[in-house]
Amino acid sequence: MMNKFKDIIKKIVINIPNILLKPFRNINFLASIFAILSGILVGFLIMLIVNPPYAGGGLMTILFGGLDKGLSGIGDVLIFAGPLLLAGLSVGFAFKTGLFNIGVSGQMAFGAFLAIFVGVKWTFLGDYQWVVAVLAAILGGALWGLIPGLLKGLFNVHEVVSTIMMNWIAVYGAFVAYKAANLVGGTTQNAQKVTSTGALPSWGLDSLFNSHNIDIGIILAVVAAIIIHIVLNKTTFGYELKAVGLNKDSAKYAGINSKRNIILSMVIAGALSGLAAATLYLNVTGATYKIETYPIEQGFEGIAVALLAYSGPLPIIASSIFFAWLKVGGDQLSGWGYDPNIIGVIVSAIVYFSALSFVFRKVVKKIFKKQFGGEIV
Amino acid sequence: MEYIIEMLNITKKFPGIIANDNVTLQLKQGEILALLGENGAGKSTLMSVLFGLYKAEEGIIKVNGKEVKIESPNDANNLSIGMVHQHFKLVHNFTVAENIVLGIEDTKYGFVKMEDAIKRILELSDRYKLKIDPYAKIEDITVGMQQRVEILKMLYRHTEILIFDEPTAVLTPQEIDELMKIMKNFIKEGKSIILITHKLNEIKEVADRCSVLRKGKYIGTVDVKDTTPEQLAEMMVGRKISFVIDKPEQKLGNIILEVNNLTVLSNYTHKPLIKNTSFKVRQGEILCIAGIEGNGQTSLVEAITGLNPIHEGQILLNGEDITYQSIRKKTLAGIGHIPEDRHKHGLILDFSLAENLVLQSYFKSDFQANGFLKFNAIDEHGKKLIKKFDIRSGQGVKTPARSMSGGNQQKAIVAREFDRNPDLMIAVTPTRGLDAGAIEYIHKQLIELRNQGKAVLLISLELDEVLNVADRIMVIYEGELVAEVDPKTTTENELGLFMSGSKRGILS
Amino acid sequence: MKKVMITIKDFFSLIHRKLTHNKVLFIDNQSVKVLNRNVNPKLFKIVSILLTFIIVYLFLYGFGSASLFFVLRRSIYIIVPLILVAFGGLYSERSGIVNIALEGMMIFGAFIGIMFMVKFQDSSINSQVIYLIGILIAGLSGMLFSLIHAFASINMKANQIISGTALNLLAPAIALFFIKLLYGGEDILFRDNYFVREMGFLTKIPVLGPIFFEKGYYSTFYTVIIILIAGIFLYKTRIGLRLRACGEHPHAADAAGINVAKMRYFGVMMSGLLAGIGGLLLVVPLDVAYRATASGYGFLALAVLISGQWKPARIIVVAVFFGFMLNLSGAYQSIVFLRNAGLPDKVYSMFPFILTLFVLAFTSKTSQAPRAAGEPFDPGKR
Repeated sequence: MMNKFKDIIKKIVINIPNILLKPFRNINFLASIFAILSGILVGFLIMLIVNPPYAGGGLMTILFGGLDKGLSGIGDVLIFAGPLLLAGLSVGFAFKTGLFNIGVSGQMAFGAFLAIFVGVKWTFLGDYQWVVAVLAAILGGALWGLIPGLLKGLFNVHEVVSTIMMNWIAVYGAFVAYKAANLVGGTTQNAQKVTSTGALPSWGLDSLFNSHNIDIGIILAVVAAIIIHIVLNKTTFGYELKAVGLNKDSAKYAGINSKRNIILSMVIAGALSGLAAATLYLNVTGATYKIETYPIEQGFEGIAVALLAYSGPLPIIASSIFFAWLKVGGDQLSGWGYDPNIIGVIVSAIVYFSALSFVFRKVVKKIFKKQFGGEIV
Repeated sequence: MEYIIEMLNITKKFPGIIANDNVTLQLKQGEILALLGENGAGKSTLMSVLFGLYKAEEGIIKVNGKEVKIESPNDANNLSIGMVHQHFKLVHNFTVAENIVLGIEDTKYGFVKMEDAIKRILELSDRYKLKIDPYAKIEDITVGMQQRVEILKMLYRHTEILIFDEPTAVLTPQEIDELMKIMKNFIKEGKSIILITHKLNEIKEVADRCSVLRKGKYIGTVDVKDTTPEQLAEMMVGRKISFVIDKPEQKLGNIILEVNNLTVLSNYTHKPLIKNTSFKVRQGEILCIAGIEGNGQTSLVEAITGLNPIHEGQILLNGEDITYQSIRKKTLAGIGHIPEDRHKHGLILDFSLAENLVLQSYFKSDFQANGFLKFNAIDEHGKKLIKKFDIRSGQGVKTPARSMSGGNQQKAIVAREFDRNPDLMIAVTPTRGLDAGAIEYIHKQLIELRNQGKAVLLISLELDEVLNVADRIMVIYEGELVAEVDPKTTTENELGLFMSGSKRGILS
Repeated sequence: MKKVMITIKDFFSLIHRKLTHNKVLFIDNQSVKVLNRNVNPKLFKIVSILLTFIIVYLFLYGFGSASLFFVLRRSIYIIVPLILVAFGGLYSERSGIVNIALEGMMIFGAFIGIMFMVKFQDSSINSQVIYLIGILIAGLSGMLFSLIHAFASINMKANQIISGTALNLLAPAIALFFIKLLYGGEDILFRDNYFVREMGFLTKIPVLGPIFFEKGYYSTFYTVIIILIAGIFLYKTRIGLRLRACGEHPHAADAAGINVAKMRYFGVMMSGLLAGIGGLLLVVPLDVAYRATASGYGFLALAVLISGQWKPARIIVVAVFFGFMLNLSGAYQSIVFLRNAGLPDKVYSMFPFILTLFVLAFTSKTSQAPRAAGEPFDPGKR
């Protein structure tokens, strides 16, 4: 019995170098690293041009700022990562099914509204108020995704334009809705905070990471990622969605109902965005919903998260943590004399270089063939 | 010998394949040189090098004895070389005139002098008897007229050396005769022609000499009048091939497919694509519907399989009315479908071979349980079919379909559809773009099906295939079935007349 | 909504039938007949457009009021840049490159343009000259910015939607970064030295005067000229023909000896030029500060392009309609019954976007997009 156990341990230990090195033989991972390094380089160059002596310090802050506050810094990263993960999942899932979901912001906005509504007003639900709030958020996002889904499935309206329209409808609609529902908080132009029973519980994470703000948002996000991974890769539903996304005509030939799948994809993507809003706004001391004439920025950051991870649900977990890490570092940049918007520049550069990755992959494949003779996957 | 064009030791490579391997081609002034080879032999590639679309890795080109560099179609045009492409390079929503002048427009202050151009086009059209309407849009004119536009494109540029790439693929036998006459006229005017083709009878009719390519290599050049079609075929394929396929006697059974008064309208223009058509297919027979591309074959198949809606009529499978059933239901009712376009409809190129092989059956209990896929079963199934149908792929069942060759992709589709054991097999131009070996294989499989008592509906554009494979032939023209003939008693000429609408036959 | 559209369609076909039946008017693909005599179709088109203008003019002459003219005047500030940006999208997509980064190009072009204008707004140079140069600079900056998208789409054959998204993210980030650095805040305030109260005798023309030639900006006229030139250029010149060929069938263009990559660079750079200018024009007449946003107008222009089926004349018609709707959020106070309706003002802001969804639903079924738009051109694939 002990011997068998020893064998298993031996096997794992021997294979660890393989497991660690495996990502490096995967071309998508390398392409992502290339995109990240290029993006950070662009940011660094701008910092260098603008304020040379502090550029190095700025770079260090971006890269390692997360560690400055120790465990609670990690907690901050996880707090940021939750909504980013779900936003990325929304974009990535839609992408896998052939759709560009640029409407995460709008879906988050409507989900947020329903969630905040429940989280502020439905105190009669007691301890389960947050559960209903989360469900309301998911419902809201799903509905906001349903409309572009229907427009595409039934009327062939391109989802890039329709989802962006929905974003702006949500932006202005928020002004009207929050005022009408009496949810504008105090002296600010922002929404009210939800009650303590409406907020997501922390289930011990706050003492683990020494942080007031962390809650189970990140856990919900990771669970969602795992579920999406299973659905996409292991179920017939996922098979059909991917088929429609890759080749609508062949899917039709095979008897798959493209219209139905397109609509369902957008609904699910919207639901994920709604959940993102729940993890972002269902708190007492964390982020507040700002009623302003700009779409929610996490919606667009989600695009970067998804692209960097090539839309794979599990890699998205990693890329969302990476972007959250950048954000935490970025928040500390004003100390060095740089506006945190440089992070936005870096993120957009990373998106850009991800797009260039196709050529990058061809070049790397050639080099690998010449140097190592073997194939790279 | 006065060679006007010499392509010496040309080698052109693409990733993973040597399309032209040390090929030599020499064209004499004032002759028609046929360039023969089966699909994939490298003929189009070689001519694309001559026309400047590709650059060869090795070899030189000489025009009138002088070595030249051809790096773009402009260089080729400057050397009076022009090409009529197999897949027309015409902009669909431009007019005929705009297409002809594109690239060599005459301008005043940047504005195109369209009136002058049209005058010149009409002159050329008159002189060479190539009737066209310069103001018509390409998308509104027939395929035959579109080809004339391609030819006029060359003449507008004072081309002396004309390359024709498989020009007769889309023409009726009568239009082919006209084209042959036009080509002979060009020769009389002192021009020289290279004719790419795989049709031996055309070579015999109009070519002086013939150069043969096989799998990228140059085999040789012969004088056409001293060579028989059989000898040409042997050079093309590398072994003796028989033109007639072995078919045992038919054993007809019940009616499997019955189509009654079918009418299909276009989704956009509401014009009828299929007009009040009826026919039947029985167990144990191959019914081939022949016709020129674009006469309704696609719409007919789409209506039967459910890819497009039906406006009137009835479709019965094994006596059951399936007219308005969904595509999935029709497939499950016993229809196999080898589609016209394997990339558009038959496969999902980014799926693996195994995933593609279960495209029509992933939802069956063999391959899934409670919505979760059974990957082991799917892989086993894939391996079984690979072995049975000899499908070549780089990584076995995990190969992405995109990286498989055209022939093997088609084999995969055939394997999948045959494995489902359908009562009716619909095969639409199943051998298009394949080499002789793959063509032979697919014909064998279809006849095997028919011998087993299944019904086969074959749509074909190649008269050879129609005459050899079919038990019964019907001809479609402008959405109607206009003739029904016995392959044993009809001729290519008669079929040509039916296909071009010049004659109508009796239907049983 | 569908029912309304259907009854309108029915109404028009009824009229058409009546006229045809009585041989008053007959129009089909081949010919136009009035009172049973053949009429030159082109002449007929021109006359009918002129008639429409005359009727509208008379209507405005009779019923025009100062507030109505104000509303129309303000619509022009929105319609003209909208057409310009939509034309930018037209050039890019007609050459074969999908460009969803119009918004980003607007933001970037306006950014550099405003910076220039603010720098010189206190100098002794004539403010209209500054404005004109600012417009040119905005266009040039937009053009340079668009090179990023062109490089990715043409040389690198990258996914054009992703590249466009990257630019949309980059423009505001970079603008806000430098605004903080150079001006200390989140926006750039500017003085409106460019407003023109009246333009001589032109102001006195009834109806046309109050709408076009009074209390306006010369930029309107510059852009009208640019729009006309752009439209004619695309359809009548050699480069225009070649550009359109690259968007429909690049292999045909390639075989005709045209450098497809060069043409596509031209198309994308044109879109950057026009979008940059459009971005500036949506800031100067309508706001007091540059805020590094285009409020979704870049995407509205894209919707205009799609609803206009990629044809200049239709784009203009759709843009007039949309621009008028967009205007309502700023001008509704002047329309009596709207002011009395008491709707919160952000509802008007939502209007154009909701409207767009409806219009797109009706116009997207049979898309006439340039056939090769969005596909990278690969000379190897015959």
